[in-house]
Amino acid sequence: MAALARLSQALRSPLRALTRSPLNRDRRQLSAAAGHGHGEHSAKTWKILTFVVALPGVAVCMLNMYLKEQQHSHEQPEFIPYTHLRIRSKRFPWGDGNKSLFHNPHANALPDGYEGHDE
Amino acid sequence: MAHQAHAYHMVDPSPWPLTGAVGALLLTSGLAVWFHFHSTILLSLGLILLLLTMYQWWRDIIREGTFQGHHTPPVQKGLRFGMILFITSEVFFFLGFFWAFYHSSLAPTPELGGCWPPTGITTLDPFEVPLLNTAVLLASGVTVTWAHHSIMEGEREQAIHSLTLTILLGFYFTFLQAMEYYEAPFTIADGVYGSTFFVATGFHGLHVIIGSTFLAVCLLRQVQYHFTSGHHFGFEAAAWYWHFVDVVWLFLYISIYWWGS
Repeated sequence: MAALARLSQALRSPLRALTRSPLNRDRRQLSAAAGHGHGEHSAKTWKILTFVVALPGVAVCMLNMYLKEQQHSHEQPEFIPYTHLRIRSKRFPWGDGNKSLFHNPHANALPDGYEGHDE
Repeated sequence: MAHQAHAYHMVDPSPWPLTGAVGALLLTSGLAVWFHFHSTILLSLGLILLLLTMYQWWRDIIREGTFQGHHTPPVQKGLRFGMILFITSEVFFFLGFFWAFYHSSLAPTPELGGCWPPTGITTLDPFEVPLLNTAVLLASGVTVTWAHHSIMEGEREQAIHSLTLTILLGFYFTFLQAMEYYEAPFTIADGVYGSTFFVATGFHGLHVIIGSTFLAVCLLRQVQYHFTSGHHFGFEAAAWYWHFVDVVWLFLYISIYWWGS
């Protein structure tokens, strides 16, 4: 019983931190840190982080992807009729019931092989 | 003239909890009917009812809070607890799917070839699109924080820009994931690998779409001057949800895309 009380005490402060609204937060900052100005220009800090770290990071990953994409082959993986793959115990509720929602004729074989190009 | 001697909000009677419950019932039973009897009428009805409920219920909350002043500090505190509890329940929801993934992948059965990834599965390279997706979501976490500080500091234009950037990054993630789903050499029907992959990442993608929508609503509200520098809980809730979505992705990336490849 005492342990439970101690546990709820320990949980109370982090939960309380989340429930503090910005109104209470700012009030405390303004009173405790007169002239400190540390919290006042945070928007600028995050703006800088956005344009110097975050978005360039995305750009680097995009470049990496583009370069890798050029390198690897676009061949179809070999078709082996494994019984543990391409399971059809129940038909899909659309179309002919044999193709998944994001079916890609080039990349996804049907249970008896890749689709022929008879269209 | 009626007034209350307390700071809480006694909500007016509302039909939305009932319509929401009926909508959820129609949606779930409609899904089962669609799977077994190929009819979509129940499903469509449920979806429409649920969408109408969400629109009108949240519209009413905005009216009560932003326009009628019912969201006093104690009321806001309750809303905060509510959002925290909801996100916690979502954490447990995803925990289940991670449990399923680890159950299947830590001890792969003989049917799969006794290995993970199973025999015949060509996994996605974790350092191509999945890595880009990680960068996109992490970047959106930075931009949403920029948006929050902008709102707190009364920087209206910056808030609108950063919030828009966050939403665009969210859309970019969704677009990239949709492309990945189409280009993947495996499908949901490819044994337990396919099931765990698409159910876990699929529900995550759904949550990205929900989170992006929530942020978009916040953008509309910011443009219409709903938020003040001291009171903008709707935005905070959306930002918390967005960070949650980001964290779930990080776990997905490490577990399924990287370790599981």
